[in-house]
Amino acid sequence: MTTPAIRTAELRKRFGSRTAVHDLELVVEPGTVFGLIGPNGAGKTTTLRMLLDIIRPTSGTARVLGVDPRAGGAALRRRIGFIPGELRLEGRVKGRALLRHYAGISGPVEPGTIDSLAERLGLDLSRPVRSLSKGNKQKLGLVQAFMHRPELLVLDEPTSGLDPLVQREFLTMVREARDNGQTVLLSSHVLSEIQQAADAVAVLSQGRVVAKGPVASLRLAGIRRIRAGLTRTTEQAVSVGLSRLGVDDLDVHTVGDVVRVTATIGGDIDGVVKELARHQIVDLAVEEPDLEESVLSLYGDSRENPTPRVTDAERADRA
Amino acid sequence: MPEPLPVFRRALSESWRSLLGWSVGIAAALLLYLPLFPSIGGNGQMQQMLETLPPELVKTLGYEQIGTGAGYAQGTFFGLIGFLLLTIAATAWGSAAIAGAEETGKLELALAHGAGRVQYALESALAILVRLVWLGGVGALLVIALDGPSKLGLDPGNVLAASAALVGLTMLSGAFALAVGALTGRRSFATAAGAGVAVLGYVTNAIANQVEDAQWLRSVSPYAWAYRENPIADGADWAGLGLLWGVSALLVAVAALALRRRDITG
Repeated sequence: MTTPAIRTAELRKRFGSRTAVHDLELVVEPGTVFGLIGPNGAGKTTTLRMLLDIIRPTSGTARVLGVDPRAGGAALRRRIGFIPGELRLEGRVKGRALLRHYAGISGPVEPGTIDSLAERLGLDLSRPVRSLSKGNKQKLGLVQAFMHRPELLVLDEPTSGLDPLVQREFLTMVREARDNGQTVLLSSHVLSEIQQAADAVAVLSQGRVVAKGPVASLRLAGIRRIRAGLTRTTEQAVSVGLSRLGVDDLDVHTVGDVVRVTATIGGDIDGVVKELARHQIVDLAVEEPDLEESVLSLYGDSRENPTPRVTDAERADRA
Repeated sequence: MPEPLPVFRRALSESWRSLLGWSVGIAAALLLYLPLFPSIGGNGQMQQMLETLPPELVKTLGYEQIGTGAGYAQGTFFGLIGFLLLTIAATAWGSAAIAGAEETGKLELALAHGAGRVQYALESALAILVRLVWLGGVGALLVIALDGPSKLGLDPGNVLAASAALVGLTMLSGAFALAVGALTGRRSFATAAGAGVAVLGYVTNAIANQVEDAQWLRSVSPYAWAYRENPIADGADWAGLGLLWGVSALLVAVAALALRRRDITG
């Protein structure tokens, strides 16, 4: 069996009295893309920073590329590409000079790599970093993480601030990295991003893994929120039709001559769309609920995991 | 393979403008003060004026010797303006190097790329030192250049000795700021520490100048370590220099060890 790219055992981090990460068990196989998802404050950033030895675990062990992050020191981190969750770049230094600086620390960057990455992402390297927009700083963050072709990429919310086209290019870069044999650990609070990129995921909530496994196994795609405006129909007709399909949180009311519908769909969307199509549709939006909601609704009540009630109680404790 | 001294080189390449600014400031101060010596210091007028001032004030300012070239250079530059400018620069650099880099996220990225923590602290200290030596060198060269025209009558070797004391004294502030920054990660604490040690050193020395019973304060004042043997007139005080440089080195070591132990929270 090959050594996992990352393995943690009972990894725990406390900040004062607050436990940010509880007994984390993660295994990331080499050459795969692993997604770490969870709402803000779930402990994603804390976990990733422990893997980089930026902060140290309170207890438990971590192995990154087979080595303890602290013992591995600088030599280990040269084999890793990292984007911090809150990327801040300041100063008069130009993009290219900054990348050259990091290349000088991390080790060799093949000639042309920086330019081709910058070109793919549409990044101007001749501007001072402080003058870059948030999205462009994030692009610079991507380049510095990918440029030395590290064995392991640890990317904390890598697409924050990027426009959709660049996000797509980023996902392509992630796939290419995997095809090169690189391992990618990706955190996000955006579900769709992980679904498109990752082979396996772990769902983190309040510092605990509440679900993990291959992406397809997690029913993460299952939940959708729907909003529609319908005409030439009645509240009555719409309600009856949709209730039969077993949607949740159904709300139907009339505004002018438009019947407004909102509902949450737990299962197959096909029947719902067909039911709506029986009426005249003015507008239709199908969206993913925010992650916190879906994580709690999907995994909050499973037996081996904390129930939503416990979660609420913990929240109340803290308040 | 990794290139040598990346942190050091980045610190210098990002601060050459400010270094130039500090150099201009020092040059301006020296060009303003030293040429005045023949007219106000050397002809006894200054001495007469000082005799009308309260002796406590004169002692506090260290102006007893202002009528001599060495006393004038000490009282205006090495003990006052130069001390002030280099202390501010050293404290700013020392608090920016680790605490500032941590607060801006620069430290996190550099460490993630594979800069060692001890390496980061040592290279930061080296960058502070090199810049201070540069400023001290600019000051020394200008004093030597202005010595003739300003009729100061200084010995160039003693000018270098006084500059070494000045650089050591301000390096101590920079190293203290660096160490407190490495311990706390807070730039404001680091700045307060670097500036505080300079002010305390100056004040304790000034008290020792006035109060016979407070002579012992000189033994805890870095300012006194630098200047109590009057290097600008009498040459290098190796014991004082040893103290300044030894304590600075110790503080740099504290910075390196502290940074190695701690979570980087930014």
